[in-house]
Amino acid sequence: MDVFGDEAFNVPDSTDWLGTPLACLMPVEQAFRCHVCKDFYDSPMLTSCNHTFCSLCIRRCLSVDSKCPLCRATDQESKLRGNWALREAVEAFKNSRKVLLEFARTPPTIQAILPDQAGPSSPSKRKATEMEGPKEEDPESKRPRRSTRSTRARAAELTAAILQEEQDTTPSADPDYVDQPPDDGLVACPICLTRMKEQQVDRHLDTSCPGSPQAASKRRPIPAQTPQPSTFPSFNTRLTSQTNQKPPERLPALAYSMLRDTALRKKLSELGLSTHGSRQLLEKRHKEWITLWNANCDSSRPKKRSELLRDLDEWERTVGNPGTAAGGGGGQQGLGLMARAQATGAQIKDKEFDGKAWATRYGGSFGDLIKQARQGIKRQTLDGNGEKADTKGGGGGEDVGPAELPTLQAREGESSAAPTRMDIVPPSSPPRPGQVDDADTEHDGQAPGKDAIAEDTAMREQVIPGTPDKERQWETSQQQQPPIPGDAQLSGMKKPNPETC
Amino acid sequence: MSLNVAQRRLLQEYRALTNNPPEGITAGPISEDDLLHWECLIQGPEGTPFEGGVFPAELKFPNDYPHMPPTMKFLGDIFHPNVYPSGLVCISILHPPGDDPNHYETASERWSPIQSVEKILLSVMSMLAEPNDESPANVEAAKMWREKRSEYEARVKASVRASLGL
Repeated sequence: MDVFGDEAFNVPDSTDWLGTPLACLMPVEQAFRCHVCKDFYDSPMLTSCNHTFCSLCIRRCLSVDSKCPLCRATDQESKLRGNWALREAVEAFKNSRKVLLEFARTPPTIQAILPDQAGPSSPSKRKATEMEGPKEEDPESKRPRRSTRSTRARAAELTAAILQEEQDTTPSADPDYVDQPPDDGLVACPICLTRMKEQQVDRHLDTSCPGSPQAASKRRPIPAQTPQPSTFPSFNTRLTSQTNQKPPERLPALAYSMLRDTALRKKLSELGLSTHGSRQLLEKRHKEWITLWNANCDSSRPKKRSELLRDLDEWERTVGNPGTAAGGGGGQQGLGLMARAQATGAQIKDKEFDGKAWATRYGGSFGDLIKQARQGIKRQTLDGNGEKADTKGGGGGEDVGPAELPTLQAREGESSAAPTRMDIVPPSSPPRPGQVDDADTEHDGQAPGKDAIAEDTAMREQVIPGTPDKERQWETSQQQQPPIPGDAQLSGMKKPNPETC
Repeated sequence: MSLNVAQRRLLQEYRALTNNPPEGITAGPISEDDLLHWECLIQGPEGTPFEGGVFPAELKFPNDYPHMPPTMKFLGDIFHPNVYPSGLVCISILHPPGDDPNHYETASERWSPIQSVEKILLSVMSMLAEPNDESPANVEAAKMWREKRSEYEARVKASVRASLGL
């Protein structure tokens, strides 16, 4: 399972802090993560029972169960309220996380600054807290500057250590600085606040004082330093964008039982959504759109409509269309598949078409097609790309596009190389035995030869791992998939054809 | 874009399980081609007839995980009142949200999106230690457990030993 060292699968998690001196940040990060998706809160919403979830997560939960997932108190979508303070806190933590983690993972720097603090080998929560205190205070005490800077800035300073100290003492981040009298050797007139030499004050009061405070430019010869907007860009822009833009309006839920098919179709087309599929699918699609839309309304950076449509499409291809999953609503499978078969052609031509997901989903069928195609191109591919396929083998999978698959599979063809791949091949994804047989007979008819026989044995070997019981389950679930018009099309587009090779 | 909610959450859980593994449990996706299909190993809890055994099982997640629970199936033979002879585990945490039509379980015991693979496996471990004979999946095992406890324990121990190849 170490194949998961892949970059694409590198999901940050609160347990990343374990093993660093800042292990105490694990519960902090956990507090910033949604209980449902385990990711950082995205548009956090408060329920009536005072629990917080991502807007999308809680809306989905409520549409399934109408209960708070944590305490199971009954709740309604309309009662959700935004938890804006948490949203800002999460945003701030997310922004500082990378720097903090890098800092925590480079203990040598810490020891260089603090020779008296020996790095603990297995930091307990408490130890880490003790460590953290002096670490953060120590560099502060060296500096003459009092400040209320963010942890991010602090961490950055710490890592860059003393080098930065000189440049960093500019007062840019300190709003209080503005109110201090400038150190110019002058004093202010107690009445008009004009600055002058101390000796001049008496004469000024007697003769030229206008009697009321003067303009700021006169009072403060130092370039005016209003609190720097540049210091808090995200905060300010967010505030203005909130006040200036009218938030999009939320969509009301529909009582589907009160609607006829035609009315529901009309509603969908008014929203610009697809109107094909079974009644059940229409309802689910409408519901999902409302969930996506309303959750987007809670976001500080709402997505565009086109992005939401893409999300809906993604949903339709996975959750909404239970062709591939173990769970899902089995009853409407056939209808869902029909709808998908209809949509397939357009889908593949779509600019947004998710090739990776497609490749993952039809990996087995691709395998069969590739096997046919391999007949002609096998030798050349092996010589050219054998090594590449070998290195890829460890981390293969989703990131291997359909175009790269032939090399992988071709490698398996060699019986000596088969074991490497077999470790990775899950019992869940053998090629469909039925199809393999078909393909075999075809091969035998078309181009019988040594290669074909070697491949056949390789393919059969591949089927062996896992219990036979599981195989059968997989087989049946695979056979419920559509006759794959897309595969034929794809193969026409991307795969070399055995006949032409 | 390439990862949907279910996949992302499962990766997150996998990551947490590898960084901070709970005792007696190993779990992870079998292949990165299909993150919805996991294999796990559970140690038999100490002080039970299952002690010393290591039980492989598979978890299959629906596309709308975590809103719906996965199914869990032991891959080897396991004689237990709450495990079907096919290996399928029958435990309240794996039952979809809502009230049980048979009123065996209250809604509070059932699946909720805040549950996780770790919690499931810990529940299964405690299920091994303390069977629930109210809604048995394996009637023979439940009856034996209730009426002839020593015979049940002997049978479980024998199967554990057999599974270890002793």
